[in-house]
Amino acid sequence: MLAVGSSKFKARHRSKSSLKPPTSNVFQPSSVGRVGNLRLEYGLRDGRTIVTKSHATSPWHFLPTIYLDDTGQAHTLLVNPSAGLVGGDRLSIRMALREGTSALVSTPSANRVYRSLGKESVQTVEITLGPGAILEWVPEPTIPFRGARFHQSIHVQLAPGATVLLWDAIASGRVARGERWAFTSLENEIAISTADGRSVLERYHVAPSQDGVGLAEPWDYVASLFVIGDSVEAATWTQARERLAEALKSVEPAVVGGVSEPAAPGLAVKLVARSAPDLTMVLDRLWMAVRGELWQLSVPALRRY
Amino acid sequence: MNTVSLLQGFRFVDSFFPAGGYAYSSGLEAAVQGGAVRNSDELAGYVEDLLCGGMGRREAVAAWVASRAGATGKPATAIDVDHELDSMKLGRDGRLASRQMGRQVIKIAAEQLEGKPVLKAYRSAMEREETPGHLAVSLGVTLGACGWKAEEAVAAYLYQTAAGLVSAAMRLLPLGQREGQRLLDGWLPLIYRISRDAKPRAPLSSWSPVQDIYGMKHGQLEWRLFRS
Repeated sequence: MLAVGSSKFKARHRSKSSLKPPTSNVFQPSSVGRVGNLRLEYGLRDGRTIVTKSHATSPWHFLPTIYLDDTGQAHTLLVNPSAGLVGGDRLSIRMALREGTSALVSTPSANRVYRSLGKESVQTVEITLGPGAILEWVPEPTIPFRGARFHQSIHVQLAPGATVLLWDAIASGRVARGERWAFTSLENEIAISTADGRSVLERYHVAPSQDGVGLAEPWDYVASLFVIGDSVEAATWTQARERLAEALKSVEPAVVGGVSEPAAPGLAVKLVARSAPDLTMVLDRLWMAVRGELWQLSVPALRRY
Repeated sequence: MNTVSLLQGFRFVDSFFPAGGYAYSSGLEAAVQGGAVRNSDELAGYVEDLLCGGMGRREAVAAWVASRAGATGKPATAIDVDHELDSMKLGRDGRLASRQMGRQVIKIAAEQLEGKPVLKAYRSAMEREETPGHLAVSLGVTLGACGWKAEEAVAAYLYQTAAGLVSAAMRLLPLGQREGQRLLDGWLPLIYRISRDAKPRAPLSSWSPVQDIYGMKHGQLEWRLFRS
């Protein structure tokens, strides 16, 4: 079987616009603040997950690890203190979680993508999870401004026993000023592979002025949640699916969403939401359902507003 | 296309072929129950968007690739795109429906069409669980092996899908035979355009989030006529 995360898969299926990690030209003056790399490696010390290696180039800024509870899970905030991404920006994140580690990754604010008349703004994320590791990837939404061209890829490779919870949301635009579906193009690819080669792949290319956005048009947010791992009992997945379905039902009609079992072991949720508060509310309920069923944990308070 | 190729391929597109398509609604049943599709106009919008943004860039491209694999005798190419399609179909009911129908197609095609080793190779891979056997791929390989051009195979797949959705809609909505035929007639230019443009210039992709959601919601319906 051809795993999504394999080099052969990537070589064959990656989009024409190359998403190679931007390692070259990093130190040329023209690249400063525009070609940013963030590298993080997590390990265990005395039962707590710590960052064992880190490297960040502007605009990425590395903040010390935060511990939100007594589980030993490391919380990392992905901080890009610039105003957002502009055309030609190429940001990359590479993350490795060693065996048995647990990390929660979030962002302090939305990922804003500015108008570009030329090049795309590119963000690539490559994550590997060691045996038994847990990653919760819960960033704020991406807001593509009028005329924005954005290309994102998130690839996650899981070792046996590892589990990932991955949330990804896009806004139709700067909704508060009435700007909706006015970006030029948005390409998004999320690929998660388990150790035995099973995989989940979400890939879309939206160009509203060219093709429209179809039935998504009345909605302001589109989001996906993936919870994938090969060590969770089938009965637990069933219970989690039921709780996720209940959570989705509880927020209708402001949110319409579905949950199902993808080709890899775990669950996939797809939803559309009317507003940012609706999106926040449904994320909290979904996250609570997953954490409760899989790890008997509550949802930590990430937001400070 | 010569007449023999045409007739060989017709069998697999015909609703008389025992693929079981009548049992599936591709999420339409959940959309009707959810109030998203209530009449002919909303059905047209739902299907056209699904064909353009969803299947037109995913299943249509897979069928194109598979058809070329069938025509050139290269099952490995079809198997690769089959796996990619499997990874992208997030909803369980829709994924299993596509696999079930595809398996029926390739089993009969490999058994009954003589002198086409690519069909037997693809069927063997499917039986060894080395490839999922999705309908777009199985039909593409079969029609390609029959001598249909790739765009013809894509058009056949999309037409079959559209006809299946109309058939399902007639059982879910107050929709008559004449209106169903009118809808199909209206979609022919769209199917032609998608099949003409299906040649892969970019990787498989899909943007039909609302239809995907209803495909996923189908599994939670309290009562259902269809299996997807």
